[in-house]
This record gives sequence, structure tokens and C-alpha cells, in this order.
Amino acid sequence: MVVRKHISFGALLILLAALAAAPLFAVFVQTFFRDGSFSLDTFLATLQHGRVLSTMRHSFLLGLYVIAATTCIALPLALIRTKTRLAKHDWLDLVFTIPFMTPPYIGSMGWILFMQNNGYYEQLFATAAPSSFFSIAGMVFIMSMHLYPFLYLMLKNALVRMNGSFQDAALVYGTNPISNWIRVVLPLLLSSYVMAALLIFIKTLAEFGTPATFGKRIGYPVFTTEIHQYLSRWPVDIPAATSLSFVLLGVCMAVWYMQSLVSQKFAYGIHSGKSSMQTRQVESWPITVSAYVFTGVILLLSIGIPYFSIVATSLLDVRGDGLSWSNLTFGHYVELFSFQSSGYHAFMNSVGFAFAAASIASLLGFFTALYVKNASSKRQKLIDLTSLLPNIVPGIVFVVGLILFWNASWLPATVYNTKWMPILTYIVLFLPYSVQYTKAALSQLDQSIDHANSIYGPTAASILVRVWLPLLAQGVLAGWIMTFIISMRELVGSLLILPPSVQTGATFIYSQFEQGNVSLGMAMAVVTVLMTVVFLYVVEWLQRKALVKQHG
Amino acid sequence: MKKTTIAPIAGIGAALFLLSACGAEAGGEGNTATESTSSNEKQSITVYSAGPEGLAEDIKIAFEEETGIQVDMFQGTTGKILSRLEAESNNPVADVVVLASVPSMEGLKSEGMLQPYEAKNGELMNQEWSDSDHYYYGYSASALGVAYNTNQVDNPPGEWTDFSDPEWANRVTMPDPTSSGSAVDFLYGLTSTEADGWEWIEGWIDNGLLVAGANKESLDAVITGDKDVVVSAVDYMAYKAKASGEPIEIYYPESGTVISPRAAGVLADATNVSGAQAYIDFLLSDKAQQLVADAYLLPGNEEIALSDRASLSEIPVLPVTWEGAEEKQIDTLNEFTSKLQQ
Repeated sequence: MVVRKHISFGALLILLAALAAAPLFAVFVQTFFRDGSFSLDTFLATLQHGRVLSTMRHSFLLGLYVIAATTCIALPLALIRTKTRLAKHDWLDLVFTIPFMTPPYIGSMGWILFMQNNGYYEQLFATAAPSSFFSIAGMVFIMSMHLYPFLYLMLKNALVRMNGSFQDAALVYGTNPISNWIRVVLPLLLSSYVMAALLIFIKTLAEFGTPATFGKRIGYPVFTTEIHQYLSRWPVDIPAATSLSFVLLGVCMAVWYMQSLVSQKFAYGIHSGKSSMQTRQVESWPITVSAYVFTGVILLLSIGIPYFSIVATSLLDVRGDGLSWSNLTFGHYVELFSFQSSGYHAFMNSVGFAFAAASIASLLGFFTALYVKNASSKRQKLIDLTSLLPNIVPGIVFVVGLILFWNASWLPATVYNTKWMPILTYIVLFLPYSVQYTKAALSQLDQSIDHANSIYGPTAASILVRVWLPLLAQGVLAGWIMTFIISMRELVGSLLILPPSVQTGATFIYSQFEQGNVSLGMAMAVVTVLMTVVFLYVVEWLQRKALVKQHG
Repeated sequence: MKKTTIAPIAGIGAALFLLSACGAEAGGEGNTATESTSSNEKQSITVYSAGPEGLAEDIKIAFEEETGIQVDMFQGTTGKILSRLEAESNNPVADVVVLASVPSMEGLKSEGMLQPYEAKNGELMNQEWSDSDHYYYGYSASALGVAYNTNQVDNPPGEWTDFSDPEWANRVTMPDPTSSGSAVDFLYGLTSTEADGWEWIEGWIDNGLLVAGANKESLDAVITGDKDVVVSAVDYMAYKAKASGEPIEIYYPESGTVISPRAAGVLADATNVSGAQAYIDFLLSDKAQQLVADAYLLPGNEEIALSDRASLSEIPVLPVTWEGAEEKQIDTLNEFTSKLQQ
């Protein structure tokens, strides 16, 4: 409780409101106010446009399909990782995060290059790739290959937590393993599943990269691509873009509300307090073999194939000549990193923006988390909700709002068209990461620290620096790294808000497809992803070290 | 009791803080900006340029060397630049705009977003590509042709209508006119000069025409062999790909094609007008015109010799009138999009 005195509620709320709430308010004003008075005309006119309804249908269907497909991948994987011999291989979890960390537009580019006419599939197997891939089914497949790790991790964690006394009890009192499963495990799993599935739905609706690359080819417009189109293609229609943003926002809010209802109703205390024992593993060999095969196939499809395409393309000298040893070159990497090249500048910009955004967001997240703690009071809840808004609101809606807000004519001056604009955008978009990581670290600490502080603590500032900062450092750092990684690859915001003369790694890659050299773009993609994996490994290592310290 | 007082105070505080924070942040930016311009040591201009990337970069470097004026450049497709200008109408940034489509320049002129300037060498430019009131100059152009993959196509057909034949089903792609200014020019040119223009285009669409992405993306589909030909391919990109060894060739159908001029002008809201005018002068200078030719574009100044490809006089051209084309181009675009979605 002492913590709360250190941090002014007002200052935090104002900062968060300026960052997160003001852009949304700008979208609202632009949509519903004409010449200073409330009007539904623009909004209704946009809704009546024939394309909008088909866009909505597309987005919804896509969301449902992706939930179904990710479930088919993630549920078996979660079971495999808790019940079979593969449960021991914890490094797999790190590998499973790679598809999720791969920027979606890069992943889908990899798949397009692999499956198109004369693509790598045809070159490797000397037979035509199934042309049915270029359909909605292919798009669902690509998006599911990106999103399944998210569902998998939530389901696996739920299963691991359950493995303790609940299963023991079920074993003692239950009838047989199957009915135990149906009557004990499934209901306990359901709430985690529903929550994760709804999040998958929101993430699918908010996704821009895959619809912008793959969806464009098959003529499947969704919310995000339509909004981007209204804003970035001639003729421009800003009111239509904000109206669509508003619809998207409404849908996501509704889903979020449903999610919170579900989690309130079906949340069980599955932390039994008893440490989760090593689960009884299924040892029968058919199951072991199928587990290995299934895991292998998923890894091949989600990492192997897209990365093969990306790396191969980055190494091709003459793209029209296809795969052959004599056609390989490192020239694109050399070009990328020759000093003063535009690729080098773009990469360094990305690093700089991501560094600044991650640092500021971590600081903000640190204070926010300390203030919110367990969100018991109304004020804490308000701060918590505001800081987590970017989790619910699709990125493109925020970006539209940020553009409108920072271009408002009544602002005395603006960061728009300066390098602060992308930094600000990343901070807003990724603030929830730093808040959540710090909160997670905080939740592991005991209440007694508060009491000790209030008795022995000299001043508020020194408590902050000498007690909280060291204790939470690892969580803050993990949040910092996540923000850094995700800022490095952010695309849709960067496409719309970068000032002149400034490119980031992501926009560089994207513009190579539009106007330049695809191989060069793919070389940049490889470098970005390598960096991401190294950083992820560092997060993992930090967490493991912290665990050892706690128990050792 | 406490709660009731806190809410309004927090609200007012929030508003004040918000204003002061914006003011402070922006004030900092503003100060540095005025300092740099008032000191006058480092003049700079902002150019919004619709590619091609290499050429824009070369011109920028040559211009900076010659004049000492720094160029901040935003590169994008014509559509992106127009939308950026619109989004920034409250806080104009750009001094010079370079677009890959004259009708779009006409649009900017009619909205009062350009200012006239009688440039040096202005009279040397192709008068059909430039504005008679000197609001913009067509400093270069690309001819739109048919690019094909030489590994997969031996004898490309001679005419636009041939791509409706069953033989060409699912083998043809075209740049997306919503992102490519030259593709709109092409559609407009073809349909405004040929009575059956729309029927030809419908024939392509029914034949499985792929419309995805701007010029480079459609050319890439043919370079990698995904599709066999690009209709409305910008020639300079095809020549450039060919020069780097890709299996690409380009030709212009005998019945005539569209030349898409690329024009530059000074924006009405330009903050550095003299710098912007210097940039236009430079674009029309022999030096920049030679850079244009080196980038495989057709120079606005016909005196500049082209060695490795068809010169303007050798290309069969459709008699397109660009005057007043802006409104009609929007109609063309809408018609195309609706046909595509049927």
C-alpha cells in the first residue's frame, strides 16, 4: 500500500490518457462530429456502402476459421507437451514462439514464394503446387501458423497448473481416466480455452500483414486492409477510414467484454498451492511416435517452409533463374550492410526507435504496474484498463487516431512528422507488454515486503530505487525486450506515420516488394528475425536464472 | 466525500497537463526547426517523390552537391503521396511533389495546392506533359508496355485483345491502379481512345487477370515465373530488371500504347519556395535529364539521346488527351474496381 503514495494517480492517468485515450477520442470525433455537431451521417453512409458488409463478413469468418484451425494445432501440441515424452524438452517452447515472433507479412511472403507458379515447391519437387492454396483456406492456414503458439502456450500452462492435486484427487475418487478427463480436466481447461480463443479472434481481426500480402492476391479484403486503403490510396477517404475503425473497435470491445464475462464465471482456483508434480506420462510407443511426427510436421510448416523461402530468396542472385547453387550470392547482405545504404539506415532507425520506445514504455509500465498491483480499488482498475487498452484495440485504429490527434489544428505544435512520432506510436501500441511483465514479476513478491518497507524504508525514492527496482528488474527487462522486438517489426503504423526520409526495417522490407528488390528485403527480414531469436533467448535465459535464484 | 472532489480535479489536471505536455514537447521541436532555418547555414527542402527509388536518390544526391540544399525525401507510390498530402493538410510539410501521373497533378492544381513557377529550361520539356500555366513540368515519362518472361514465353502476342484468348487464361497480371498512377493512366488512355477499351479489359478480367500490388510487385510475379506477362508494365522497371540479368523482355503493341508522364511542381504551402524552385530547375537541367535517361525513363527533354532502347518517337502512342483527365480518371478507377469485384 505504501507504493501507492509514491506515484501520483493524476500524473499517471493523464499520461496514459494522453497516450492511449486521446487517439481513440480523435477517431470518435472524426466519425461522429461534422462542423462541431453530432452527426451519424458519415458513419451510416460508410456502413451502407456495399463493400463494408462484405468486409465485415470476411473478417468475422476469418476470425472463426482461424480459431478452429489454431485449436486443431494447439490443443494436441499442448497435450503432447504435458503428457508424452516430449514434456521433458522445454526448449521446444522457445522454438514454438518463433512463428509467433515472425512478422506475419514476412511469413506469408515466404508461403507465397513457396506455393506460387514456378515457386520453390515446384522447383524442389518438380511438380505443380496445388493451386487451391491461393484461397481463403490458404489464408486461414498461414494465419493459424502464425497464431497457434499463443493458444498453445495458454493451454499448456493451464494443463501444467492442473496437473497437481486435481489429478490426484480425480485418480483417487474418479472412475476411469476418460471420464476423469471429461469431468475434471476439460471443464477446467474450458475457461482458459475460451479466453485464448477470443483473443485469437481479436488478433485475427486486427492483423494487417497477412491480409495485405496474401489476402490482396486472392481478393479478400478485411477491416484492416480496407482502413489502410482508405487512408493510403487515391482517392483518400478519412471519414470512411475512421467509421470502419469505429466498427472494428466496437467488435473488439464486445468480444473483450464477453471474454471477461467468461473468465469471471468460469474461473476456478486451479492454483492448488501444491507444487505441480511431474505428470504421469503416456509411454506407449504409437503415441510417442505420433507425438514426434505431429510436432515435427507443425514445426516444418510453421518455421521450416517459410524460413526456407525467406532465406533462399535473400540469397538468389537472379530471381528469374530460380534455385541452383550457381545462382546464390551474399551480395544482398553486403548491400544491406554497406555503410550509408538505405537498408542500413532503415535498420538503424528501427533499432533506435525500438530502443527509445522500449525504454520509455518500460519506465511507464514500471510505475503503472506498481500503482495498479492487484487492481483492487476503482482508481487502480481505471489505470489498469487504460494501460491495457492497446491490447484490445486493433493497432490500425490507434494509428488512425494518433494521426488525427497529432494533426489536430488546435494543437499548438506537434510531434507529427518528427522521429518522435513512430516512437510515440510504438509506446502506445506496446505499453501493455511492459505493464504485464512487470505486474507478473510483482505478483510473485510477498506482501511482507510492503510491510518491511513501511517499517524500515527511509524515503519513498530510496524504497523505489533500492527495493522495487532490483526486485522487479527481471520482469521490467523482459518487458523491455518484448517491446523492443515487437517495435522492430511493427509495420502498419510505420507505413502510415513515418516522417519523410525515414524508413524502418519493416517498411524497408515492404517497400522492396512494392518498388525495389525483393531479395534485398528478404535479407533484411533474415537479419531482423535472427536478432529477434537472440533476444528471445536472452529473455528465456533471464527467466531461468531468476528461477534458479528463487529456488537455490 | 474524497471521491467526489478528486474526479473533477483529476479531469482538469489531466487537461492542463495534456496541453502543457504537448506544448512543451512541440515547443522543443518548433525551436530547433526555426533555429535551423534562421541560421540559414543548412537550408533544406522536403520532397515527396513517387520513385523510382534509385533515380530519386541519385537526383537528391546530385542536387545536394550542386546547391548545398538538404533534401528530406518521402518516397512512395502516387496514391500514398496524395493521401499523405491530404492527411497533412493541417500541417503541410512538403515543398515539392513529384508524381507518376499528370492527371493527379492536374487534381492538385485544381485544388489550389500548387503554385506556378517559370522554370529554367521549362521550354525544353515535352509540352504535352507539362502545364501551360507552369504549375508543373513533365520532367520524365515511362511508356507502358507488355513485359514477359523469356523463359516461359517465346512469341508474345502482338495485341492487347489477344490476352482475352483462352490460351492466356491465368497467365496475365497488371499493376493495381489504386496504388500505381501509371496503371490509372493506362486504363484511362486505353478506354478514352479505343471504343472497345472496356471490353478488352473485361476480357482480361474474365480470363483470370491478377491485380495485386504496385508496378514492381506485378513485374516480380513475372520475373519469378508465377505469371507470364504483365500488361501495363512500366518500361523502365522492365529494362532495369533485364539489365540485372532477369529473364524479362518488354515490347509495345503496334496499335499503340500509353505514355505516362511523371511531373513535378512546387506546393502552394511550401515553406522554402526558393529551395523548391531550385529543385524544379535542377530536375529540368541536362544533368538531371541524363540521370533520368540512365534510369531507363524517357527524359522530358527529347534532345537527350537514348542508346539502349526505343526512343519516344519509335514508340507507337495512343492519342491520349491529359487535359481535364483528373475527374474522368476517378471514374475510370471506380469502373475498373467494380468490374474487378463482380
